[in-house]
Amino acid sequence: MSQSETQNDTYSESHVILTSVRILSPFTLTYGLFLALHGTDTPGGSFQGGAIIGVTILMLAFAFGIEPTRRWLKNSLITGLVTGGVTIFVATGLATMVLGGTFLEFDAFTDAFGLSHHWGMEAVEVGGVALIVSGVVVTLFFAMAAGFTPERYNAVQEDVAEVSDDD
Amino acid sequence: MSALAYTLAIFILLTAIATALFRDVLSTIVVFGAYSLGMAILYTFLLAPDVAMTEAAISAGVTTILLLLTIARTTRPSTDRIFERVNVPAVVVVGAFVMVLGTLVLPEMYAVGDQTAPIWGWPALDISPSVYYIENTVADTHAHNAVSAVLASYRGFDTFGEAVVIFAAAIAVLIVLKREVFT
Repeated sequence: MSQSETQNDTYSESHVILTSVRILSPFTLTYGLFLALHGTDTPGGSFQGGAIIGVTILMLAFAFGIEPTRRWLKNSLITGLVTGGVTIFVATGLATMVLGGTFLEFDAFTDAFGLSHHWGMEAVEVGGVALIVSGVVVTLFFAMAAGFTPERYNAVQEDVAEVSDDD
Repeated sequence: MSALAYTLAIFILLTAIATALFRDVLSTIVVFGAYSLGMAILYTFLLAPDVAMTEAAISAGVTTILLLLTIARTTRPSTDRIFERVNVPAVVVVGAFVMVLGTLVLPEMYAVGDQTAPIWGWPALDISPSVYYIENTVADTHAHNAVSAVLASYRGFDTFGEAVVIFAAAIAVLIVLKREVFT
């Protein structure tokens, strides 16, 4: 997070972009959550929903600048999204094996707890795929925005070491 | 397909050709985004809303933004020409390939919604996967979106592999760019 704080800032200061992102981003976030949470019953699903949730962050970054958004977004949050999604997916599959089924055989939940089959689907879709996709979209965006600049990386590291008292 | 769908198909063809011909990379990316949006609408005409949403969100949205970010870090070649110079031998070879495909393969393909297509069951087999999913999804999984049921329940292990591949792709990008943070 710290290595590119002093890079050129792409803050747009365009009133059209700022205003439209301010108005639209709550709706895109809601739409992404709707797609992810209703994926088992309506068209769409957690992949599309997760992508739209991630795009909401990308819109904010375009309007308010990539570096301010990078600083506002905690690295632990995105790390938690991506790795947590994989962990929940694996844990759901292993849980069905512990309960006597095969990997991701959700009927094991029905036999053990009386949970309907589609709650297992919700677990891997919402808790697994949606988290992974939204996290990866944001990761790719910020990785592309930072780019591969080893010289600048070292230079910025020194800058950060100098100004670290101010933070 | 309706006249609107044919108009859309022509729009997609034109944007595809424009994507190949434009010399300025920024113009190419903008036209490519329009192409993806046209494809997304075409998928809804083909009754595939799930694929349409993926195309709209990933191809038209995320890919365009990532391409824009990438060319923002490059220099634009200054030129007065709008279109790329066409390589005639390459066009002849590719054109011949498309003609062969169009005359030999396209007539053999089944019409959209044709119930004699193999996806509805081979004559030699009694059971058809499509018919099974359509008839038994609600009873088996209590989910009303058969596509989600196939992805998350019937083919859950495949989806697990895909999810891990996406995760691995993010890790690979971070390793290539020598970054140790996700943001």
